[in-house]
Amino acid sequence: MNARVLIAVIDDDESVRESLPDLLREFGYEVAAFASAEAFLASDSLALTQCLILDRVMPGMSGPQLQEELIRRHYEVPIVFITAYADRRRPHPLPLRGAQCLIKPFSDGDLSLAIDAALKDR
Amino acid sequence: MNNPLQRVVDALPALVWTATAQGDTDFLNQRWRDYTGLTVAQSLGRGWQVAVHADDLTSVTIAWEHAISTGEPYEVEHRLRGADGVYRWFNARGVPLRGPDGEIAQWSVLQVDIDEQKRTHALHSGEKRLLKMVARGRPLATVLTELCKLLDATAEGCFASVLLLDRSGKRVQQVIGPGLPASCFNFRDDEPFTCAAGPFGLSAQQRKQVVVADIEHDLRWADGSWPAHALAHGLKSCWSSPILSLPGELLGIFAIYRRDTGTPSAVHQGLTQQFSFIASIAIERAQSEDALKRSEAFLARAQHISATGSFSWHLGSGEITLSQQYCRIFELDPAEPITLERILARVHPDDRALMRDMIERVRTDGGDFDFDCRLLMPDQTVKYLQFANGAIRQNDQIEYIGAVRDVTSQRLSDEALNTVRSELAHVSRVASLGTLTASIAHEVNQPLSGIITNASTCLRMLGAVPPNINGALETARRTIRDGNRAAEVISRLRTLFSKNLISAEAVDLNEATREVLALIRIELQKNRVVVHLDMADDLPPVTCDRVQLQQVILNLLLNASEAMIEVHDRPRVMLITTAHDADDCVRLAVRDEGTGITAQDVERLFGAFYTTKADGMGMGLSISRSIIESHNGQLLAEPNDGPGATFWFAIPRQPCFDPVDDRSASLPRTEP
Repeated sequence: MNARVLIAVIDDDESVRESLPDLLREFGYEVAAFASAEAFLASDSLALTQCLILDRVMPGMSGPQLQEELIRRHYEVPIVFITAYADRRRPHPLPLRGAQCLIKPFSDGDLSLAIDAALKDR
Repeated sequence: MNNPLQRVVDALPALVWTATAQGDTDFLNQRWRDYTGLTVAQSLGRGWQVAVHADDLTSVTIAWEHAISTGEPYEVEHRLRGADGVYRWFNARGVPLRGPDGEIAQWSVLQVDIDEQKRTHALHSGEKRLLKMVARGRPLATVLTELCKLLDATAEGCFASVLLLDRSGKRVQQVIGPGLPASCFNFRDDEPFTCAAGPFGLSAQQRKQVVVADIEHDLRWADGSWPAHALAHGLKSCWSSPILSLPGELLGIFAIYRRDTGTPSAVHQGLTQQFSFIASIAIERAQSEDALKRSEAFLARAQHISATGSFSWHLGSGEITLSQQYCRIFELDPAEPITLERILARVHPDDRALMRDMIERVRTDGGDFDFDCRLLMPDQTVKYLQFANGAIRQNDQIEYIGAVRDVTSQRLSDEALNTVRSELAHVSRVASLGTLTASIAHEVNQPLSGIITNASTCLRMLGAVPPNINGALETARRTIRDGNRAAEVISRLRTLFSKNLISAEAVDLNEATREVLALIRIELQKNRVVVHLDMADDLPPVTCDRVQLQQVILNLLLNASEAMIEVHDRPRVMLITTAHDADDCVRLAVRDEGTGITAQDVERLFGAFYTTKADGMGMGLSISRSIIESHNGQLLAEPNDGPGATFWFAIPRQPCFDPVDDRSASLPRTEP
């Protein structure tokens, strides 16, 4: 049912780029995985992506910086942030503009709900 | 004249005359006539009264008429004009001569010259008055003006003046000469006072008297303006003498001017010497008073700036003297009488016993001692004071003097500093643990995330119709791989505290412990923990990482302190023991008397994430144990026989570090 939706996974951690696309394909989405924000911006997927699963902390451009860049380029793509930094008490270093943020490790159910909510905002 | 008796009477060194019972003069001796220059005819009857000074005539007339009418002796002092027109003081005494019938037949009067005596007396009383003025601290100008007036009154035709010089002795500060017009003295205070200025300059330079007997013809200042200026004021002679202090310092010039030419007589010289001396006393007194006032002002200012007050307490009389700053510190009204009770009332109730004890010590042994004490002000603020006291004995009387310093702001800043230091110790402890926890969480969460995602995918693939067996196998394999990766992260963390990161040095465990104690002294005081130290004297140094070891000690001490926070029914005693064990280990034990632990707790205590504290990370003991074990030592805990627990560690003096794989010994990632 979601066959036409392309989701881009951007994470510097290889195990995430390996495991998350398989799960998302099981959900029925098309998936493209990138090791950095820069690689994503340079790819053909940029214009086709309908949802981003985006690691917050990466070497080079961070998740929130990519979000800023997309807004600047007028790509209004819904984003689900993911992060391994579990300190929930610390305020986010950059505003996440209403985007959801999943703390690693997260369940397949939470991921599914987050993507559904993000796509609904489109 | 041929009457021998009359010859005797004429030769008497006194003025003698006789009068009738009615008071009419009928005889005057030769001396009378010589002195007054009056003829007998001029003087007969009441004629002699023309020579009486106008100011004294009334009293003379009254006294004479009274004697005549009552027959009582005639006695009066009055001035009598001489033939040269100069008045001199005389003492006049007259007695009646009575006939056989007892009636007064004649009066005989003797007049003695008391002028010298009178002047000497006036001079003495004038000098006495001047010295009294000096003693009473009257303004210097007033005293010197009186001094000049006295000289003018004492020495006929003389006009005295005093030039006051400044401290350098080179400039005129003030001129006093009440008998002369101010225009006489045209000194400028911005010009040096030199010999060329006039005889005063010369006198100042030579420090001796300079006599100008004839201003008009004296050639010494012929080139200057002084002679003409003096002559223009009708002055013909001038005698200047230096006024010297006892040590010989030039204070000023005492000068006498006259409207005629001439040199000073012996009388003038005596007066000059005497008056210069009085002037020097007056000037020196004024100068030392100025110096005293200045030094008092300095002292008051210094006391104000340094927040130091001084006081004296005369034990015999009980008299207490407080400096202005002392009153300010104690907030006492200096106008009200100062009593010990008023001072004691300001002392903090908790320190009053101490203060009374100090007062008692003063009374009994009067020694020197210092102490600290607090004040409680009416607005409930507390002041911290330092007292430094000593006793002075004088003629068997003890005077107790002291200084008190307000160290409140210093004390408060010390306390603030200690609080900051203690908070810093806390923050750094928490921060290092916090950073570590965040790194551990990140490192562990990455593989965990993979495990959970892969396992979820695996389940979905297996649950699909038909099941995706190859995909499921792949994801299951990844799950195992990520699981191993997580285990690897944990073991890498453990090696963090191993050989590669240890900077080994010889550490004195006692000293290291004392340093930590110093760091958390305030923290322990705040928790009212009483620390007992039992440190081995013969402790050998141990080779270890000083900072890591101190982290462990800090952790144990803070844990022990926190364990006793709930203790209210007994002292919160912490016993720190160091020892050199038989197996060449050094040991440190921290024993608290807190809530204690059970035997079952002991092992769980050292597991990561175990904590009894609501806000704790539960990492302290686990990390501490890792540190000690990396030094080949052991960290253990055991319940006490009584309340509380003892945590102790022992490390060998020369630890052999575990061989560690260098590649796994990298630091955990931290958040950028």
